[in-house]
Amino acid sequence: MNEILTVTNVTKSFHRKKAVNDVSFSITKGEVVAILGPNGAGKTTTISMILGLLKPTSGEVRLFNLPPQEKQVREKIGTMLQEVSVMQGLRVGEVLELIRSYYPQPLAMEELIELTGLTEQDLRTRAEKLSGGQKRRLSFALALAGNPELIIFDEPTVGMDIHARKRFWQTVRTLAEEGKTIIFSTHYLQEADDAADRILLFKDGAIAADGTPAQIKASISKQSVSFIVDPEISLEKLYLNIEIHDIFRKNNRVYIHTENTDRILELLFQEKIGARDIQIERGKLEEAFEQLTSETKDAI
Amino acid sequence: MKTFKMQCKTEIIRVLRNRYFVFWSLLMPIIFYYVFTNLVNADVPNKAEWQAHYLMSMTVFSVMGSSMMTLGIRMVQERSQGWSTFIRTTPLSDTVYFAAQMVGQSVIHALSITIIFIAGALINGVSLKAFEWIMSGLWILLASLPFLAIGTLIGLMKKVETAAGISNVLYMVLAVSGGLWMPLDVMPKIMQTIGKWLPSYNFGSGAWEIVRGGMPDWKNILILIAYLVLFMLLSKYIRRKQEAV
Repeated sequence: MNEILTVTNVTKSFHRKKAVNDVSFSITKGEVVAILGPNGAGKTTTISMILGLLKPTSGEVRLFNLPPQEKQVREKIGTMLQEVSVMQGLRVGEVLELIRSYYPQPLAMEELIELTGLTEQDLRTRAEKLSGGQKRRLSFALALAGNPELIIFDEPTVGMDIHARKRFWQTVRTLAEEGKTIIFSTHYLQEADDAADRILLFKDGAIAADGTPAQIKASISKQSVSFIVDPEISLEKLYLNIEIHDIFRKNNRVYIHTENTDRILELLFQEKIGARDIQIERGKLEEAFEQLTSETKDAI
Repeated sequence: MKTFKMQCKTEIIRVLRNRYFVFWSLLMPIIFYYVFTNLVNADVPNKAEWQAHYLMSMTVFSVMGSSMMTLGIRMVQERSQGWSTFIRTTPLSDTVYFAAQMVGQSVIHALSITIIFIAGALINGVSLKAFEWIMSGLWILLASLPFLAIGTLIGLMKKVETAAGISNVLYMVLAVSGGLWMPLDVMPKIMQTIGKWLPSYNFGSGAWEIVRGGMPDWKNILILIAYLVLFMLLSKYIRRKQEAV
C-alpha cells in the first residue's frame, strides 16, 4: 500500500488531561483529507504530532514509514501553521529564496508566485509589513516552497476573505490533481465537504467518524420517516428493528429516526400496519453539526 | 553547504537592516567616542593613550551590545511569532541554524569593529601598530562569546518587551560598572572591586592591555571562560525546564 501517513494508537496528555485519546488512522497517497471538528477537539494537537512538533504520550506516528523528525521526511512535507509566521527584516522574495534553499528539489519561483497569487510588489515588501491576507499567502507559498509530496494545513482559511478562500481551495484542487497528498484541519463542515474526499471527524480528542463527506453527513444529520397510523395498531414489531434509533408519537403522527429511510419504508409495507401520508425528512446538516460542536464545547 | 551560506547571508542582511542595531552598535559608540575624547576629557596627561584606550572601550561596548541584544531579542521574536516552530518543520537542521546565527553574528561584529576602529583613526588619528589593531580586533571578536551566551539566555524569554527591557538594563549596568564608559580608577573603591569580577571589565581589560603594548591577562581569559560556561549551563538548564512543561 502507498501509505504516506500512519497514526497508531496515539494519545497525548497535557497535565493528565487527554487532548488526543487513542487515535488511529492512515492516509494513502493522493488523498485529500479533512480533519474536521470543533475547537478543542484535538485537531491541532494531532497535526503537531504528525509534524513531529509534539511527541505523543503513547502510540506512534510514521510518515513515509519513518519517524516525523527525520530529515528525509521533512524534505517531503510542506506545512502552513495556524500562527502566522514572519521573519523580520527580510523581503518576501528573500524569505522564499531562503526556504527554497533548504530543499533538494524546490518549486520554481515562478510557479510559487502563480500558485499563491503573490504579486511582484509583495515580493519586494518586508515580511513584517504585510497585511494579514498577504501573510497568509506568504505562509501558503512557504508550505509549497519545497515542492512537497504531503502538504499539511492547520486551519488554513482563518483570516482569509471570501475571494482568497476561493482561490486557496482552487489551488489545493490543482495540487490534488497533481497527485499530492493533502491534510487540512477546519471547523467548517462546508469546507471539509467541498474540498476533501475523506473526512476524519474529531470529537473530544477521538475520531468520531471517518469516511467520505457523504457518509459523514449521513451519520451526523438526523433523518426521519413520519406517518399517520390508526392508534389501535400496535407498533411493537417496529420497536424491535435495529435500523430504528428512536420512535415516538407526536400530534397524531409517528416519527422514526433512522439512518436508512429506505429500509424503514420497506418495513412499513412489509408489516402492513396501514401507514398513511408518509413523509421523509432530512434534518439540516449544519444544524446537526453545530449541535455536535456545541456539545463538545459544553463538555470542556 | 549551500543552505549554510544562504542562512549566514540572510542573518547578516537581517542584522544590517535592523535600525536598533545600527543605532546602538554603530552610531552610539562613535558619538560617545567623539564626546568623551574631545569634549569631556580633552585634557588628560597622555592623550594618545587615552584615545586608544577609549576606542577599545567603545568597540567593546558595541560588540557587547549586539551580542546580548540583537541575538537575544531576535530569538524571542522568532519564537513568539511562530517562525521557530515553522523552521522546525523544514529540513534545516538545528546545528546549521545555530552555526549560521553564530557565524552571521561574528561577521557583523568584525564589521562593527572595523567601522569603529576606522572612526577612531579618522576622529582622533589613533594610530596603533598593525599587530595591535589585529590583535585587539581578534580579542574583541573572541571574547564576546560569554555575551553571546547571555544573548541566548535573553532569547529564552517569552515576550519581546521583557527581553528588550531586561537586556537594555543589563547592558547599561555591565557597561558602566565594567569601566567601559569611564575608567574604573575614577570610581569608588567598592565599585572597583566588584567591577573587576564582571565579564564586561575583563572583556575590555584584554583590549586595553593590547593597545598599551601588553597582552590580555590570564585572569581576564579565565574569568571570561568561567562566565561562558556558567551562562551556557544556565541556558541549557532553563531550556530543559521549559521543554518539560
